[in-house]
Amino acid sequence: MRLLDGRLSLITPEGIRLLLTPAGPYLRAVAWTIDFFVWSTALSLLFVIFPKGKLGQGLYLIAMFFTYWGYPIICEVYFGGRTLGKRAMGLEVVRADGLPVGWRESTLRNLLLTADFLPMMYLSGLICMMLDVKFRRIGDIVAGTIVVHHERKLVRMPPLSAAPLAPPFPLNADQQRTLADLFERERSLPLERLAELGTIAEPLTGKTGADSVEAMRGYVAGFTQ
Amino acid sequence: MKQHQFEADNAALWQEIGAILDGSQADRRALPVLYRRLCQCLALCRQRGYSPAVADYLQTMVGDCHRLLYGNAVQRPTTLLRWMLVDFPCRVRAEWRLLLVAMLALFGVALGIGVLVWHDPQLAYSFMTPEELAQVRQMYQPSNIKVGRGSSEGDVMMFGHYVWNNISIGFRSFAGGIFGGIPALLSLAFNGMHMGVIAAWLSKDAATRETFWSFVITHSSFEVVGLVLASMAGMKLGLALIHPGRLGRGHAVHAASEKMFPVIVGAALMIFLAAFFEAFWSASTTIPVHIKYTVGGLGWALVLAFFVFAGRGRQ
Repeated sequence: MRLLDGRLSLITPEGIRLLLTPAGPYLRAVAWTIDFFVWSTALSLLFVIFPKGKLGQGLYLIAMFFTYWGYPIICEVYFGGRTLGKRAMGLEVVRADGLPVGWRESTLRNLLLTADFLPMMYLSGLICMMLDVKFRRIGDIVAGTIVVHHERKLVRMPPLSAAPLAPPFPLNADQQRTLADLFERERSLPLERLAELGTIAEPLTGKTGADSVEAMRGYVAGFTQ
Repeated sequence: MKQHQFEADNAALWQEIGAILDGSQADRRALPVLYRRLCQCLALCRQRGYSPAVADYLQTMVGDCHRLLYGNAVQRPTTLLRWMLVDFPCRVRAEWRLLLVAMLALFGVALGIGVLVWHDPQLAYSFMTPEELAQVRQMYQPSNIKVGRGSSEGDVMMFGHYVWNNISIGFRSFAGGIFGGIPALLSLAFNGMHMGVIAAWLSKDAATRETFWSFVITHSSFEVVGLVLASMAGMKLGLALIHPGRLGRGHAVHAASEKMFPVIVGAALMIFLAAFFEAFWSASTTIPVHIKYTVGGLGWALVLAFFVFAGRGRQ
C-alpha cells in the first residue's frame, strides 16, 4: 500500500512496520522560537526574583548556565522527548529506531545546536535539514535522533447505521479503505463538498450529489458490518 | 471477515493491552504474547483494507507497546562513576595524537607568543587593545585582587561568571569542531594567544607577577586541560567527517560522538571544578602564596597522573 505522506517505516522485530512522520524545518523553527521565549521569560523572572548585588548576580549566572544548556536536555529525557515548544507544535524527539531518547543522545544533539547555528541563525542546520531525507540537522545526525510528529490517538467513530448495499463490482482493499475513510471524516466536510465528492463517484454509484453519498454509505455499511 | 466482526472479536485483546499500557493493570508479564497477537491484528487490518481509524488506533497501540518493551534501559547505579574513572581517561589516551595536536595549538601558540612579548613588550599591542592590557594589569595589582571583587559575595558572582563563561566556551569549541576541526583549533589558538600575551605582559612587571602566577596556578590545571579535551573531542568529530574510514560519513560521526561523549562530559566537569577553585580559592588573600603554589603543583600532578594511569587494565 503506497501512501503519499512522507512517513518513515521502521520494521520491528515482530515483522510489522512502525510509521513515523519526520517534521520539517518550519515547525521545528517555530518550536525553537517558542522555547527561546519561554527561556527568556523564565530568566527575566529569575532576574527580578534574585536579590540585587553580587550574590544575586552570581546565582543568576549559574541559573542562566543550567537553564540554557539543561532545559532542552531535561525535557527530552524526562518528559517524553518534548520540550514546551515541541509540545505546542506536536513534535517529539525519538531515536532513529523509534525508541525514546537517552542522556547521551539528548546531550549530544543539544550541544551541537551551536554547530547548527554557524555561520548565522541556524543556516547550517537548515541546509542540513533540507538535504536529508529525514529532516535531520547536524546535531540529529551526530546523536542518531529524528524529530517526528507526535501521533495523537484518533477517536474511533461508532459504526455506520445504514442499510447495507452491495456495490456494483467488487472493490479491493485500497478502495474499501478510501470509502471508509470518507465517512470517518464526514463531520469535518461541508455538505457541498460531500455532494461534489458524490458527483465524482458517479461511475461507482450511478447517481450524483447527495444520493451518491447515501449509496456509498450503504456500501461502506455493507463491508464493515 | 468484516470490519465490525473483526473489531468485536478482538475487542477484549485490545482492552487488555490498553489496560497494561495506561498502568491500570499491574501485572505486565502477559504483554509479549499479547503484543504478538496485536501485531497480527495490525497486519490483517492493513491487508484487508479496514478503515484508517482502526488501522491508526492499532498502529498507535503497537508503537506504545514497542516503546514499553524495548525502550527501558537497565539502570546501573555505578555506571556514572565507572564511566568517569575508567572510560574517560581510556578514551582520552586512545586519541593521544589528536590530544598532542590540540596541546600544540594551545600551549605552542601560548609559549611562542609569550616569548615574543617577553622580548618585545610592544608586540602585546598587536594582539590586544591597550585598554584591555591596562585593565588586566589593574586587576592583578596586589591591592586590587580581592578588593575588586568585594568579599565572598563577589566570589559567588565570579563563580557564576566562570561557570557560565568557561563551560560555554568548552561546549562551543566542542560543537564547532565538527566542521573539520577548524573552529576548535581556532578557539584553542585564540585562547593560547590570549594566555601567552597576558602571562608575558604581567610577568614583566614585578608587582603583578606574583599575584598573577599564584592566581592561575591552581585552577589552570583543570581549566586549560578541560578546554583542550573539549576541543579535542570536537576535532575527533570533525576528523570523522573528513576521513570516515570504512563507514558512511553520518555513521562515522555518530560512532565518533559515542566515543567522545565521556570526554566532553569529563571536560565540562573539570572546567566546573576549575571555576570552583578560581572563584573561592585562587583570589583569596588569606592563603599564603607558597601554599597556593604547592596546591597548584599538586593539581597539575593529579591531572597528569589521572590521564596517564587511571583506568588502565580495567577496560
